[in-house]
Amino acid sequence: MSTSAHPMLKYLKTQAPTGPRLPLILCPGCGAGQVLNYTLHAVDRILEEDNWPKEHFVFISGVGCSSRLTSHYLQFDSGWTLHGRSLAIATGALLANPRLKIIVFTGDGDAAAIGGNHFIHACRRNLNMTIICINNGLYGMTGGQVAPTTELGETTPTTPHGNVEDPFDLCRLAETAGAPYVARWTTAHPRQAIKTITKGIRKNGTAFIEILSQCPVHKKTAPVELFRRLREITVSKKDTDAIAAGKIPLGEFCNLDKSDWIARYQQIIENARSPEAD
Amino acid sequence: MPISGSKHLIQPGNYYLQGAQACAEGAMLAGCRVYAGYPITPATEIMEHFARRLPQLDGRAIQMEDEIASASVLLGASWAGTKAMTATSSPGFSLMQEVISFAIMTETPLVIVDVQRPGPGQGYITTSQEDVMQARWGHHGEGSIIALSPASVQDMFDLTIEAFNLAERWRTPVLIMAEETVAHMREPLVIPPHAEITVVDRVKPQDQGIAPQDYLPYGHGEVPPMAIWGEGYNINHVSLVHYEDGTVTRYNARTHFENVSRIHQKIENHIDEITKVDARFIDDCRHLLICYGSVSRTGVEAVLEARERYGLNIGFIRLKTLWPFAEARLRALVPEVETIFVPEMNLGMMIHPITEALRDRCSNIISIPSLGCLHTPDQILARIREELT
Repeated sequence: MSTSAHPMLKYLKTQAPTGPRLPLILCPGCGAGQVLNYTLHAVDRILEEDNWPKEHFVFISGVGCSSRLTSHYLQFDSGWTLHGRSLAIATGALLANPRLKIIVFTGDGDAAAIGGNHFIHACRRNLNMTIICINNGLYGMTGGQVAPTTELGETTPTTPHGNVEDPFDLCRLAETAGAPYVARWTTAHPRQAIKTITKGIRKNGTAFIEILSQCPVHKKTAPVELFRRLREITVSKKDTDAIAAGKIPLGEFCNLDKSDWIARYQQIIENARSPEAD
Repeated sequence: MPISGSKHLIQPGNYYLQGAQACAEGAMLAGCRVYAGYPITPATEIMEHFARRLPQLDGRAIQMEDEIASASVLLGASWAGTKAMTATSSPGFSLMQEVISFAIMTETPLVIVDVQRPGPGQGYITTSQEDVMQARWGHHGEGSIIALSPASVQDMFDLTIEAFNLAERWRTPVLIMAEETVAHMREPLVIPPHAEITVVDRVKPQDQGIAPQDYLPYGHGEVPPMAIWGEGYNINHVSLVHYEDGTVTRYNARTHFENVSRIHQKIENHIDEITKVDARFIDDCRHLLICYGSVSRTGVEAVLEARERYGLNIGFIRLKTLWPFAEARLRALVPEVETIFVPEMNLGMMIHPITEALRDRCSNIISIPSLGCLHTPDQILARIREELT
C-alpha cells in the first residue's frame, strides 16, 4: 500500500529518541493545526524564494491550545513559554540576536487577557516579529470559559448567565498601538491566510495576523458547521455596509513603512562606539 | 575564558563608585550584553548605568512595561546566546517569581538583582533583608536556587561576575540579594587586571562534539549542554515535565521525579563548590555572631568591640551565599558554643536555617531584628552585652 506524506511533515519532529511525537495533542477539528499548516506553507515558500537560513527561524508561544503548536513538534528552534509573556521573550531574543526570524503563536486569551499589556507594547515598540493570534473566542484548554474575545451574551462555564462584556477587536488594538502590519483571516480562508502570513514574515517590523478559528469541542458543533459560520460572520474589509451591520472585516488593515526598534537603537550603538565618542 | 578585549569595558585601576554602578560594570565584564528593567526605587541606578553604557559595548538595554516583561526578556536573550540581567526591588521581585520558576525548570542561565527594600506592600524605600526567604521559596514548585549576598561596593562588582559564572556553569537563574545600603553606598573599588578575572561561559553541544541529530536538550548528564537559537540544533525550551529529549507527552510519575530531582540536585549536590562563608575569631570561641549583607559590616564592628573592650570571646561568620544554604560548611566551622546572635534587617529569617543546621551545637540562638535601617554596631553590641553580662 502506498501512502502519501503531508508536504509539511518535513518541518515536524515526528519521531524523537524517547518515542513518537505525533499525533498532535490538539482535538479533532481544532483550527490550530490548520494555522500551523498555513504558517509552515508560508515559511516553506520563504525558505525557497528568499534564501533565509532555516536555522534563523524561531517559533515562540505562551500557554493555551494555540501555544501547544510549539510544545515539542517543530523541527525549528522554539520555545513554549509563559502564559502571556511570549512577546516579551521574543523581544529578548531579538535584542540578543536581531537576525532571528521570530514567529509567535498566541491565542486570544494569551495575547489579549494575561498578555494584553505586553501585546500593546510589542506593537508599539515595533521589533521584527510576526505575531499569529489564533482566536477561537474562548479558553479551550481549561474548558471553554469566557475570553476577552467572546461575543456579548454568550454562555460559557464562567458566564453561565451570559457574557455581559463586549469583545476586543484585536486588529484595531494592534493598529492603534502602532504595529505596522495588521491583517485578519479565518481558518476557512487558507490561501489568503498563507499569503498574508508570508507577507507578515517578510515585513520588517511587527506584523500582527489574527486568524479566527473554531473550537468544535466547546462549541459542541461539527467543524464543517463552524467553518460555514466563520464564512458567514465575516466579510471583506471593503464591504462597509455589511461591517456596519455587524459583520467582521477581513483583509489587510495596514501595511506601513516604519523604522523598527533595532534599527533606531543601532544608531545609538554606532554613535556610542564612534571614535569621536571617546 | 579570556575576556574579549574591549576598550569600552571598565579598565583595571582604583575607582570610587556607587554599588549600583559597580554591579553594572561587573555584569558587563562578565559578558552581559542585554539588560531589561522597570524603574523602581532603590534599584533604578543600575538600569540607568546600563542604559548609558551598554550601547558602547554593542549591547542593548530596554525599559519594559513591567517587571514580569523585564524578567521574560532575559529568557529570550539567554536562549539566543547572550548573557542578560535585570535589577529590581522587592515589590518587583515578587512579580518576577513566575520567571524564576520557569527559568529553573527550563534551566536558563540569567541574573536577577533584588535591591531589597522593606515590605510588606509598598513598605518603604529604605534598606531591608526581608526577601531572603522569598529568594528561596518564592517561586512555585521544587527546584533549588542560588542567591548571593553582597556587603560592599567591591562585592557588588565581584559577586555580580560570580553570579553570571554560576548561572552559566549550572544553567540556572542566579539571584543577587542586594540591599538599598549596598546599592547606594559609594566607596573605593579595585578593578583587577582583566586577565585575573574568571569568566565562565555555558557549555554548548558543539563544545562536546554533539551533533544536532544526537542532541538531547535536557540530557547528556547533570548539567545539559545548552544549544543556542540560530545555530541549527532545533532546540525547544519547555517547562512542562519533560523527558531528556524534550518530549512533553506520555507523562508518568517516574519521568517527573527524574526530571525535577536532577534539576534540584545539580545544585544541592554541589553546595560546597557553590557557597562561600567568611569566618573570623572562631577558634575556641564561646559565642558567635552570624550575619550577611551590609549587616556584616556593623556586625563585625560589634564583634571587634565586644572582644577588645569587653573581653568577650565571640566569633564572627558572614554568609556570602544565602542559597543553597551552606549547612555542611557551617557545621565544619562552628564548634559547640553557648550563644549565637543573628542580626538581620527583618524579623528573623535566616535564623531558621541557621538553627536547623546548628541546633545540636548551640541551645541559645538569638535574633537581633531591625526593620528599615541598618543596625548600628552599638545596637548589636548592646544586645550581646545584655545577654552575656
